[in-house]
Amino acid sequence: MNLDLFDNIDGLLIRERENYLEDTEKIIRPDNNSISSRFPENTPLAMAYVPYQQWGDVYDDDKALTQGTLFPELDLPFKGGSRL
Amino acid sequence: MNDKKMLLMKIKKYDFALKELNLYLDTHPNCRRALTLFKQYKQLREKAMNEFISKFGPISPEDSNDSSHWNWIDDPWPWERS
Repeated sequence: MNLDLFDNIDGLLIRERENYLEDTEKIIRPDNNSISSRFPENTPLAMAYVPYQQWGDVYDDDKALTQGTLFPELDLPFKGGSRL
Repeated sequence: MNDKKMLLMKIKKYDFALKELNLYLDTHPNCRRALTLFKQYKQLREKAMNEFISKFGPISPEDSNDSSHWNWIDDPWPWERS
């Protein structure tokens, strides 16, 4: 499986990740009208994007089985269509 | 929880961690940290499996390792074991 394509956009993904927290903050603030995108400025429209997972912390095997994932960043319980 | 259940639970947890790492490694085949963790869980699983099989018999037919008796058919069956 050749995944070099993904490696080339690592820089982009790291930037995307750095932007994530502040953008989330913008979205949850109800008085803030300027909801900005998580994506870089020149991201083409009408394309689907999947952020590439980076190695981070892992749960222990006990918690992993309970949460249904070994990776905290993939631990996204369904909350009626909203993660906020 | 008795010894049998605890060992089965351990195997279940290790299997899940291994499956998760398997999926991660499919897209990140050269991640050393994932490879190291995979190896660790593989060893833990093997240890737990050997312990279970030696104490309570085979979990699947290929775990049967008695050279004089086919202990796969011995009661209780894996799904009957409490």
